[in-house]
Amino acid sequence: MATRKRGGDGLNAAERWFESRGWSAFSFQREVWKAYLSGESGLIHAATGTGKTYAAWWAPLLEYLAESSDASCAIPRNRTARAARKASPALRVLWITPLRALAGDTAVALMQPVADLGLPWSVETRTGDTSQAERARQSRKLPTALITTPESLSLLLSRNDASHQFTDLRLVVVDEWHELMGTKRGVQTQLGLSRLRAICPELRTWGLSATIGNLEEARNSLLGRRQSCRRSRIVHGVEPKKIVVDSLIPPVIERFPWAGHLGTQMVPQVVAAIEEGETSIVFTNTRSQTEIWYQAILANRPDWAGTIALHHGSLDRKQRDWVEEGLRTARLRCVVATSSLDLGVDFSPVDRVLQIGSPKGIARLIQRAGRSGHRPGAPSRVTCVPTHTLELIEVAAARDGLESGSIESRYPVRRPLDVLAQHVVTIAVGEGFVPDELLGEVRDTEAYADLPDDEWQWVLGFVSNGGSALTAYAEYSKVVCDDAGRWKVTDRAIAHRHRMSIGTIVSDAHIAVQYLRGGKLGSVEESFISRLRHGDRFVFAGTPLEFLRVRDMVAWVRRAPNVQGAIPRWMGSRMPLSGELAAALRNRLGEAERGIFRGEEMQALKPILEVQRKWSHIPGPSDFLIERVQSREGFHLYFFPFEGRLVHEGLAALFAYRISRIRPVTFSMSSNDYGFELLSADEPALDEALANGLLDPANLIDDIPASLNATEMARRQFREIARIAGLVFPGFPRSGKSARQLQASSGLFFDVFQRYDSGNMLLGQAHREVMERQLERTRLGLTLQRIAGARLVVTNPKRTPPLAFPMLVDRTREKLSSEKLADRIRRMQRALEKAAG
Amino acid sequence: MSEGDLTITIRGESVTLLPERAMLWNSRKALLIADPHWGKAATFRAYGIPVPSGTTDEAIGRLDRLVKRTGAEEIIFLGDLLHARAGRSAEMFAALGEWRRQNPELKMLLVRGNHDRRAGDPPAELGIQCTDAPYDMSPFVLHHHPQPSAEGYVLAGHVHPGVRVYGTGRQTERMPCFLVGSDVAILPAFGEFTGLANIEPSEGDAVYAIAEETVIPISTQA
Repeated sequence: MATRKRGGDGLNAAERWFESRGWSAFSFQREVWKAYLSGESGLIHAATGTGKTYAAWWAPLLEYLAESSDASCAIPRNRTARAARKASPALRVLWITPLRALAGDTAVALMQPVADLGLPWSVETRTGDTSQAERARQSRKLPTALITTPESLSLLLSRNDASHQFTDLRLVVVDEWHELMGTKRGVQTQLGLSRLRAICPELRTWGLSATIGNLEEARNSLLGRRQSCRRSRIVHGVEPKKIVVDSLIPPVIERFPWAGHLGTQMVPQVVAAIEEGETSIVFTNTRSQTEIWYQAILANRPDWAGTIALHHGSLDRKQRDWVEEGLRTARLRCVVATSSLDLGVDFSPVDRVLQIGSPKGIARLIQRAGRSGHRPGAPSRVTCVPTHTLELIEVAAARDGLESGSIESRYPVRRPLDVLAQHVVTIAVGEGFVPDELLGEVRDTEAYADLPDDEWQWVLGFVSNGGSALTAYAEYSKVVCDDAGRWKVTDRAIAHRHRMSIGTIVSDAHIAVQYLRGGKLGSVEESFISRLRHGDRFVFAGTPLEFLRVRDMVAWVRRAPNVQGAIPRWMGSRMPLSGELAAALRNRLGEAERGIFRGEEMQALKPILEVQRKWSHIPGPSDFLIERVQSREGFHLYFFPFEGRLVHEGLAALFAYRISRIRPVTFSMSSNDYGFELLSADEPALDEALANGLLDPANLIDDIPASLNATEMARRQFREIARIAGLVFPGFPRSGKSARQLQASSGLFFDVFQRYDSGNMLLGQAHREVMERQLERTRLGLTLQRIAGARLVVTNPKRTPPLAFPMLVDRTREKLSSEKLADRIRRMQRALEKAAG
Repeated sequence: MSEGDLTITIRGESVTLLPERAMLWNSRKALLIADPHWGKAATFRAYGIPVPSGTTDEAIGRLDRLVKRTGAEEIIFLGDLLHARAGRSAEMFAALGEWRRQNPELKMLLVRGNHDRRAGDPPAELGIQCTDAPYDMSPFVLHHHPQPSAEGYVLAGHVHPGVRVYGTGRQTERMPCFLVGSDVAILPAFGEFTGLANIEPSEGDAVYAIAEETVIPISTQA
């Protein structure tokens, strides 16, 4: 026994365990185990529900089995739970999950083999939901395996015994890395991992991911520079099942269906589809749609009360748990959900998935389809339900994209100084740092590999004296350098506030929704609640409610007798159309232009597209269509690049700027996934602008910032940055009077920095983020190149043609003006008076 | 008076609304100023939040220009002169003291607001008389909170009023404003680092928005 080889017998232990459950290990799982045991890190990508979790989890279990002799491995029978926990090995595995909702299920899955093998390991979770008592216990000693979120990892690193806690750490698993990598939370994770690697150099990192377009980049950003260069690999999991995509075609395609949304007209068909299956998930794209569809289905089938439920990220944890349990046990017939059910463990009984509205991306469609059809050999099927008829094109295009395998990439965030400033303070709150050492760790991450010295120096200044030596802020110090050259936060109040505000997910302040009698329902954005008055009714968590008052960050409500009321609107929940799907969509329109209507979706759309052809033009992939329409509202210009909403927002600002340079004019802008609208009170100089290089891809470097200064985009982007960099605090409970003195909006900070510290690099970051992330400058440039080479078609329809109509009713509006403010207000006034007169 | 000013009459008194976010009571030659929140940026810095300095200098500069161009002989602060105790920086008081020495003849009165209660009165060297609200100054009652009074027409602050103006083409613009009602007038916040709260004018309220250098009456029924 003493000569047992590393991994040899242990591998058999895993095989035996799989056999005992009637499974057999996949070869990709064995590949991971061997690679891990020989010291490698890597990324595993596979479809949901194909064994990624155990591929990663068995690796450290096998390592432990190989290290332990049989004697030390077994648990003495008569131990109490408390004694067992105390005797369990020190922290060896850290399991990071993007959603705290997944932590509980993951813990159950991880415990399974531990219990079956009788290992003395403790497996616990630590998230925002963890109780105070459990936190205290974990503060004394961490479990052998800890499941946590990126934010909670940062909190662990802000402890002054952080490196002591992690000395025996062997493995970090990052679950659903594709969800994190394109976000600032992903950068926060990279920084945290780099810190852990500095504490324990032999640490291995394994990521679990769905299949995305840029797996190499996903691996590199997860592992960091040194680890990627050392031995690491990408492990390909089980091939995804075949996916069938179909649609519910509206029974009557009216020729003018675009006035407003199809909305819940499709309910009878959706109900019929739910009846076909045993257990269904109805996915929507936003939380408000979830509420609307839940109500609509229930109104259609009141007898389903109790067997249908809804699930979204704002609901109270208890309610979500209840719903997830109902799906697993097939107690529920149907759950209406947002992406909150995209991730995580399997709900095996689910055999029918419906998607309300366009999936907006091919990867997302695959993910959602994968929620169904766990019977062997059965294909995954997803049925798309259009919310307005034009969305049928997107379904047809998504099917094309799926067939050609054009899956979207996730692009990592580069060098966000707000996240870096937060991380630096986190470490300073904990054990403190020596700048050069910390810089080495920071530069090992993919996100900050090319961090220039001046930006690093600026961040150090920002957290210590407010800026460079010349612009130092009086009375200000957050991080101070001690005699030994170690940078620390010594002020306990500052440390406390920092811990409270760690995190990079930015949202509007949330207010808990609670019954007067005590039951909690979940939380809603403050901006929604602030519009309600006493006695107003609204629908939340599927329940009609009457609003009473807000006190201490709680909205007190009671049940209302009927369902008439507003549905809360949540911020930032709209996904833009992906580039891959946009390209597929342009091809479908091109076919339509040539009179080809392939498939049931395009057949259904034919009457509408014929109206588009008659009134204006169907833009093919090599056309660029501009429509000029005059209405009572003013002069509308509709542009159709078909590149997704984000690109269109940028193009709208750019075109508005270029047109207004010819003659002063004020534009309102509106964009959707197909195009954008510029609306003005006076006729815009379109022809002159076209002749003067409106579509020119050159001069973008100058024109984009110029058009940005005129809009509020950078100022808005600063909301998130101000919060992450610790300028603005979310409302905490019991924060007291001193916190109230510290309330200022991010917009105020933006203005004050702009005016008195224009060298502040967070301002530069706001502009950069708008350029690269919101406007996708690269994609913007490519789009302009495509447009410049396209055939320009300008039409002058009498009324708004079908493709433009959704923009007319769209609500997001930007503004760009070259007029003086006072002149503009006076003119707005005159028009109002004329209208009133 | 300059081009952007706007003179109106309240209870028989001529007052001029100034785009520098102040009001001039013409017969008394008194400038009325609400919510300067001096030391707010310093308060933030003291609590470990980096905000650049400069807002105080700007406010003093604006005050100085106002006094010079209106020939005001008196300044009345309608509360929240100082933001918080932690923001009472020596630097700020030195700058204010310097300005005071150049304007020794000015009468200054502070009607205390909610922030002043915790932040404390300004140092005696600044020569600002301090009093609790309300303070009668016929035909007006000077107050911080905009509460109607039986004693007279109330001039107040506290709210930091802002108004959103809508126009054709779905344009909107948000600006600081004066709200002149039948019993109470609310002045815009003088301080730069203070923010705006949207007001909802009632029937009979007049709203005057500050569009950069110009005060513009806004029609509220549309």
